[in-house]
Amino acid sequence: MAMRDLVTGGAACAVPGSSSSSNPFGALANAILGSSSKTQELKGLPGSAVNVPEASSDYRPAAPLTTIPGSEYESQQDQRPDARTSEFLHGFHSTDHGGLAEAWDEIHRSPVFPPAQFRENEAHFEEFERVYNANPLQPTWDGPPQRVLSSVLHSFLGSDQAGVPFRPTALPVLGLSEGDKQCIRDRSCIMARHIFADKSEEYIQSQVNALLHSLDIDSNHQIRGSMHGPHSELEGYWNESQGAMIPRMPNPVDGWITEFSQQRENDNPAAWANSFEQMHGANGWASEFEQDLKMGHMRDANLANLAAMEQSRMLAQTLGQNRDPKFQLSRGTDNWVHEFSKEHQRPDEKWVDEFSKLNMNDWVEEFGQQVSEGAFGESSADVWADDYDKYLDDQLRASKQRSGASRGVYVFSDMNPYVGHPNPLKEGQELFRKGLLSEAVLALEAEVLKNPDNAEGWRLLGITHAENDDDQQAIAAMMRAQEADPSNLEVLLALGVSHTNELEQAEALKYLYRWLQNHPKYGSLAPVQQADSLYYADVARLFNEAAQMSPEDADVHVVLGVLYNLSREYDKAIAAFQEALKIKPRDYSLWNKLGATQANSVQSADAILAYQQALDLKPNYVRAWANMGISYANQGLYEDSIRYYVRALAMNPKAENAWQYLRISLSCASRNDLFAACDSRNLDVLQKEFPL
Amino acid sequence: MASSLKSAALLEQMKLHFATEEGKKLTKKIGLVYQLNIAPKKLGVDEEIYVVDLKEGKVTKGPYDGKPDATFSFTDSDFLAMASGKLNPQMAFLRGAIKIKGSISAAQKFTPDIFPKPSKL
Repeated sequence: MAMRDLVTGGAACAVPGSSSSSNPFGALANAILGSSSKTQELKGLPGSAVNVPEASSDYRPAAPLTTIPGSEYESQQDQRPDARTSEFLHGFHSTDHGGLAEAWDEIHRSPVFPPAQFRENEAHFEEFERVYNANPLQPTWDGPPQRVLSSVLHSFLGSDQAGVPFRPTALPVLGLSEGDKQCIRDRSCIMARHIFADKSEEYIQSQVNALLHSLDIDSNHQIRGSMHGPHSELEGYWNESQGAMIPRMPNPVDGWITEFSQQRENDNPAAWANSFEQMHGANGWASEFEQDLKMGHMRDANLANLAAMEQSRMLAQTLGQNRDPKFQLSRGTDNWVHEFSKEHQRPDEKWVDEFSKLNMNDWVEEFGQQVSEGAFGESSADVWADDYDKYLDDQLRASKQRSGASRGVYVFSDMNPYVGHPNPLKEGQELFRKGLLSEAVLALEAEVLKNPDNAEGWRLLGITHAENDDDQQAIAAMMRAQEADPSNLEVLLALGVSHTNELEQAEALKYLYRWLQNHPKYGSLAPVQQADSLYYADVARLFNEAAQMSPEDADVHVVLGVLYNLSREYDKAIAAFQEALKIKPRDYSLWNKLGATQANSVQSADAILAYQQALDLKPNYVRAWANMGISYANQGLYEDSIRYYVRALAMNPKAENAWQYLRISLSCASRNDLFAACDSRNLDVLQKEFPL
Repeated sequence: MASSLKSAALLEQMKLHFATEEGKKLTKKIGLVYQLNIAPKKLGVDEEIYVVDLKEGKVTKGPYDGKPDATFSFTDSDFLAMASGKLNPQMAFLRGAIKIKGSISAAQKFTPDIFPKPSKL
């Protein structure tokens, strides 16, 4: 099928920005010239792009540079580049690139860079210098030539942004190997076509030639036999791969598409390359690439190469011209792309038409047929596409959340106004008392940033998150509290509760047991035991003994209640909470626990009464509002549930679960007209429609 | 509690849900039988099999005695995500994250709104 060939062909060839390890350029370029750290998120460093041929000019202004990995590298490098760079800069300067300098300024919008090591005078090169120096770690290939190279490439890329044609510059010898040269040549051809998509072919060609000329690369250069230097191995790989047209490589190939199209989102061609670099360190490349090589087979080098290049160029152009958001992909959808390239797409997409010119008709027709036959339901194609959009948005959102919190790592908020506050803990406690949960979170975060071992700060932060209906963050915070204070009973109980909510039964049991072990009064009841050998029955028995020891201790009943939730002995759980409530009738969280237990045992009407009690005691109790919504929805009272979800979300727009549930309720209430508002998190509209 | 899957908890709730008014409505609305093969980590590995019978309104463990209208293969976390509306089943299918056998139209009716949501302590 043409598409597959196209895709694989393109990927195996010199397609810039490809994340495919079948792309020899990537491997070689990255390995030789160093690449950005793998650990970067998309918020990553513009500066890290410096070392790779495709060094992009994407400098996102908001990049949080606290994550710069390369500072060690920086210090290593500070001596050598001086002479080189000055030379280069002089050369650069002397060819009168006034326009280009402005282009540089435009490009380097971001003011936030690590302090420059250079004493460079030229103001308009200052930022450039800083970027230059903010290198990620690839100590195997160091030295000025790479920087010189990257700056040249930067300016090449920048030349489009400024509308100023790139002029050939006499550069000092960069010592590019044959492999490098070919790399750069091919990649820049494609890149140029992409960037200058709106310009004529001759323009593109001349730009590329200018670049190549500067770099002293013969535009018809081909790889020849001899390997030299420490990179012979890599050049070897690259040579082989030039021959290796690897037709079946699902992940890398599709990864490439993913990478590429991902950048369409940003609508910035350079960002594409940048992001690609950021995501794949040399190691990742080389090893991935090795694996793929084993799968591949050899064919005639030149022919395959040229054909692939041509195909990839067309692909790049086509994809480049398509700004349709439907074509955007989120991360982690490699498999999807795999499926995608095999089967499905909206038949009326413009770019699909492009592809059909390349013999895509078969499966497009097939899909169209399926759609009309109702394979996906009545309003199938649109619904599908809309759903897909939403799915992408959700995935993007959710993955940002999950990546930190689900691994037990606390995710701090950006732009915290309380950082620098003299006593953030006190402030946090005040805000909590007032019921301003989201504000309290910020203040408490400021506190724990200041004093990372403050158990109370972490504990309260955890509680606040739980009340704000975010168990993941609650767990993350509570874990820190536990580290700071391992025998704190409240922390242990809170961990037990949050894990129960997350259906992590073994974990929950462990913490509840530790509660018992650490209790001054009941600790003796609990023999020291490994977590693995814990059984509900045993633990429950122990707790019952404790309850008999001190029937007036509300806490024991609470823990019992949570335990019985775990074992789904809901009646016993309800009884336990009711006992606790007799002792502490004004504890709003107990009312919520009671309600939740009742709700989970499908006594929704009773649950609602309990939640109401909780809310009377604490009106800003987001969790209780959300639980209310759930109980109405579980009873099929969707309109009511919507009101409660909206109320919960108005108090905490970050309550992810509630957004999803809201959407489901909207659908059940046949209010699809509000999907858009829901997806765009437009609370105003929703609140107007569904006030309480 | 025999199962270590998180999905098991959800399915227990589903079982209880069938006893309610709302749950009974489901059988009228859908009336199909679904088999769920849920794997802890990787699709197809160490699966636990459940049957969500929306004809008779019950949830049982073990393969269906008969032919289910549609059979799904999920991972534990994907099933949870699907039931809570975080994962669109069609998208998941296209991605290869879930496998579907049987009638597509039946499969399409297997949506998040069927499932009661868990309340948080």
